[in-house]
Amino acid sequence: MVIGAGIAGIQASLDLAERGIKVELVEKNACIGGRMAQLDKTFPTNDCSICILAPKLAECSRHPNITLHVLAEVQSVDGSAGNFAVKVLKHARYVKEDKCINCGLCVEKCPMRVEDDFDMQLRKRRAIYIDYVQGVPAIMSIDKDKCLWFTKSACRICEKVCEREAIDFEQTDKEIELNIASIIVATGYDVFDPTPISYLGYGRLPNVVTSLEFERLISASGPVGGHLTRPFDQKEPENLAFINCVGSRDVKNNPYCSSCCCMYTTKEAMIAYEHNNNIQTTIFYIDLRAGGKGFRDYIQRGCDDYAITYIKAKVAKILQDEQKNPIVFYEDTDTFEVKQPKFDLVVLATSMVPKKDAVRLSEILSINVDESNFFKSMTYHPQKSSKEGIFLCGTCRAPMDIPNSVVDASGAAAKAAEIVMRV
Amino acid sequence: MGFLCNWCSYAGADLAGVSRIQYPTNIRIIRVMCSGRVDPTFVADAFLHGIDGVLVLGCHLGDCHYITGNYEAEIKMNTLSRLLGIVKFSDRMRLDWVSAAEGNRFAQIVSDFTKHIQELGPSPIKESKNKTQIIDDLEAVKSVLESARLRGLTARQRDLVTEKNVYGNQITAEKFENLLNDAINNEFIRHKIVIKIKEIGKSVPDIANEIGIKAKEVLEHIVVLRSRGLVDVQEINEEIPTFISIQEGKH
Amino acid sequence: MTNDDIRIGVFVCHCGTNIGGVLDVPSLADYARTLPNVTYSTDNLYTCSEVGLTDIKENIIEHKLNRVIVASCSPRTHEPLFRSICQEAGINPYLFEMVNIRDQDSWVHMKEPEKGTAKAKDLIRMSVYKAALLEPLERVKVAITHSAVVIGGGIAGMTVALNLGNQGFKISLIEKESELGGLLKSLNKLFPSNEDASNLLENIEIIESHDNINIYKSSIIEKVSGFVGNYKVIIKQNKKTIDLDAGVIIVATGAIPLSPEGYFGYDKKNIISQLDLEGLLKNDQVKANNITMILCVGCRNEERRYCSNICCMSAIKNAMLIAEKNPNAHITILFRDIQAPGTVYENYYRKAREMGILFISYLPEKPPVIKKDIVHVYSDLLNQDIRIPQDLVVLSTPLIANEDSEVLAKMLKVPLEENNFFLEAHVKLRPVDFATDGVYVCGSAHWPADIAESTSQANAAASRASIILWKDYLEVEGSTAEVKTELCIGCEACIRICPYNAITKDEETDTAIVNKVMCKGCGLCGASCPKNAIIIHHFTSDQIRAEIFTYGGEI
Repeated sequence: MVIGAGIAGIQASLDLAERGIKVELVEKNACIGGRMAQLDKTFPTNDCSICILAPKLAECSRHPNITLHVLAEVQSVDGSAGNFAVKVLKHARYVKEDKCINCGLCVEKCPMRVEDDFDMQLRKRRAIYIDYVQGVPAIMSIDKDKCLWFTKSACRICEKVCEREAIDFEQTDKEIELNIASIIVATGYDVFDPTPISYLGYGRLPNVVTSLEFERLISASGPVGGHLTRPFDQKEPENLAFINCVGSRDVKNNPYCSSCCCMYTTKEAMIAYEHNNNIQTTIFYIDLRAGGKGFRDYIQRGCDDYAITYIKAKVAKILQDEQKNPIVFYEDTDTFEVKQPKFDLVVLATSMVPKKDAVRLSEILSINVDESNFFKSMTYHPQKSSKEGIFLCGTCRAPMDIPNSVVDASGAAAKAAEIVMRV
Repeated sequence: MGFLCNWCSYAGADLAGVSRIQYPTNIRIIRVMCSGRVDPTFVADAFLHGIDGVLVLGCHLGDCHYITGNYEAEIKMNTLSRLLGIVKFSDRMRLDWVSAAEGNRFAQIVSDFTKHIQELGPSPIKESKNKTQIIDDLEAVKSVLESARLRGLTARQRDLVTEKNVYGNQITAEKFENLLNDAINNEFIRHKIVIKIKEIGKSVPDIANEIGIKAKEVLEHIVVLRSRGLVDVQEINEEIPTFISIQEGKH
Repeated sequence: MTNDDIRIGVFVCHCGTNIGGVLDVPSLADYARTLPNVTYSTDNLYTCSEVGLTDIKENIIEHKLNRVIVASCSPRTHEPLFRSICQEAGINPYLFEMVNIRDQDSWVHMKEPEKGTAKAKDLIRMSVYKAALLEPLERVKVAITHSAVVIGGGIAGMTVALNLGNQGFKISLIEKESELGGLLKSLNKLFPSNEDASNLLENIEIIESHDNINIYKSSIIEKVSGFVGNYKVIIKQNKKTIDLDAGVIIVATGAIPLSPEGYFGYDKKNIISQLDLEGLLKNDQVKANNITMILCVGCRNEERRYCSNICCMSAIKNAMLIAEKNPNAHITILFRDIQAPGTVYENYYRKAREMGILFISYLPEKPPVIKKDIVHVYSDLLNQDIRIPQDLVVLSTPLIANEDSEVLAKMLKVPLEENNFFLEAHVKLRPVDFATDGVYVCGSAHWPADIAESTSQANAAASRASIILWKDYLEVEGSTAEVKTELCIGCEACIRICPYNAITKDEETDTAIVNKVMCKGCGLCGASCPKNAIIIHHFTSDQIRAEIFTYGGEI
């Protein structure tokens, strides 16, 4: 069983399926793809994220050895390595999976407007929706909490317009029990909410956004179609600032390093520059962590070709002027002066944090978490959890980038295969 | 006509569809696995059959599913473009890159290109005025693109310029450019000559007149063509020889 | 054009109102009927539904169709489905074509239904002319040798061997030196646990006694030939030559620390390398009280622009060990950026600072200078020159690629990047695969990696390799390239242009030959061959020209 169908879960599932091993892939959302589907481009090659993800999504849904359980959550795990009994709760989607062809008519007609989590709440979706356009499985689902039928016993327009008679309000949640030899946990990460760091102004100052929000803004499939504009006044920003280590390397919030921010802030600045050559970027950092293959050269390209200036400084506070342009206060270490440059948009590189329900899942699986609530892996056997037969991969065990998540996932698959071969 | 690669541009076109982005109806798409599959002769064929504009779309450089395919496509289309430039067709062809996530970009490119071609008007090959001349020109282009010399050069371009040959020599990009230009210009004239004297034998001065270059140059080319076994003396009239293309066999 | 042997069936889909609501679908089916070689044509509401699929199967049988065209949505989503339906009805799956009249027609020309319908007619006609030229293609079955050769017996190589051996595959583990263990043997303790490096060498016993693992020590690779599933590896052990068969090869040859010769007056006595320090610490020979460590020696410069990832942690580890043993020691680390990513390392770094180890950043344009027993460095944070007394200076150098990487890379026909580390197929999608099938890489041979990362990569490589090894045979796509040997002049252009090294020269005939197993069907060779001697099956030049000619028409 693979819990979580982001890039790590998908890679592990594909490796095992290709290896002839049957995989039950359990995903909480209606679509697989995870965080990688939210990204526009990925470092260090700056290739399009969904382009390289989509073939893997298609393979996952088509592979005869993979059974996809979406809108599903693990409820309990009993037994031991080689012989786990796992109960999975499958939430109803209220749409018949064999009838829906994803034509979009229902979405057009649905009257409800809901904050879209995929777009970091920068856009509204409908109560009947698909997570994202290229989502797999390409089937709609109804958000029970926002649907007028479930909340007020009204509407049902989607049912009326669907030509395939695919809407089914009578569906119910189902629990299934599966016999599993080995479990791989690949549940991914959440994004740190920087509101508690009040001096950075997130939540108060409209032109201070998080990195994932910025990612959606520069995405061709995002709320502004990739034409970078400030969410507040739709002005096109030309002076950007990125602040690294927000919520990480911070004993008050998260003491660890989030691994990818130095690289992805450079990437986001590069993409912004490609869309608008007038953009100038300043990245405030503590240590520039770029030890991976080709990473140093990437940073250098940022400096040389993409109008990025790196300033080693910790930002003390952010205020704003009358036009809501953020003003960043920091100490210049050459001159010892406090500088307060003005920017059009400030992006906070927020730390990866464990998912909200990580602790609950760790209890269900009877595995340990570390002090930060990431699933704890063995020091020199990083795919091994504290329980035999249960393996970890990707950002659910520690912040890491995509190449490392893919390696981790294949590694976990190899360990899981060992268990399966023993049975 | 559009040649779209399966992994990126075709997927981008599909995405434009899924997103219901509208664009002009003038394009017909042929799916290939890689933009590097597009033989430049396909484009020449398209123009010979009256198609007004040709789009070749591949993955962004660096993103090719087959790693180096689009670099090769770029090289081939470069050679093609120069040849088409000689016969004033190069602005009816365009090479561009569309990723699988760029539905909008695909639609934009199609719209822009359609408008561009509409401004250029229908292909001149469809008017009866210059028809034969243009057909001859395009046939010459196609012939050059089929020739072993040009195909061999473009196939080896990347590795000749970036790696050493068996003697340990590396050729600079600049030197290669000159070599390629030389080949393109000369071969075009040669293949045009072959076409001009396919049906009826002609003398060097006559050929020079028809093509619009000096007789001395024509003679040099005839010598080369003879050595390749492509033309031969037809007859000699008052000490002036006429030459005709040899029909059987291909070069 | 019409050929009695060709019987094409055309199925045009309404897709509910997605296509049917814009294009005149019945007229498309009528039009198809008028085209050459079309035996049967109809329209369906939902061709991909149970009903639609059954309809196709029944009509194939009833009308004895031998080519099928479905005009509906995108082949990228539905081609496999329809191909398998054809197969079920007894038609070779490569005799099937799809016409995209939804994503690339009805959905994008919603306001121009007539023009959209005309476009659909053209597209269907193009497909019919191509279909007439389609040929049945076989998916070749290739036998596999169910064993692996692992090159390198360090932590990565051992981990791969153990995992694959545990999965039941036979492994030949090739090690250059006389003992397994690689760099681990020279290390004292490991970060972040600070346990003995020898703890991890305990695995060696398990490996040496493993039923499935054969170890060849003091051995190097002499020659590699073959292709995925069928490699022949010749090794030389001392003076003996040994032939090995393998289905896959895994490169785990590691890397070596750069010796700081020529940097900072390295003399192995007062100014030593971190590797030297490991040895001294192992034997408890560090007596110094004022230790300065200089990081990024010989890297992050013009010559070597990369960061070696693991040296910061190594230095911090050794600094902490010295501080533990000798609380009176003054230890200073001169750094440029501290690499401590992830959950554990940042804590480790913090602990080091809490122990009193001093961290001073320096600028590359103003590197530290050692004058007798003082280290002079300019601190950019404090904006002043600092003098640090020293009785021991330790230089941290990067891991660099092995000298024999080039030779091995040529033998395996795999690429190196500019620092001579092995270059994987794709940074994100296939980080431990090579573009050449059946060869994998892991550990520091790929890029400087610590133990955890080496282990992860090794497990990953094992997983990828096992995908090949467990199969009874490899089945490969039929749409590959094929050389017409009678036309081939042996110029080797195709051999050079193939991104997968799938083409070789037949020594006897001096012509090119495509390995069907390795060929991915991209078509680069076919488009490049000076003699047009290569057929790209399923996307042949004739088929493509048929599509062009019927669209353009005659002039």
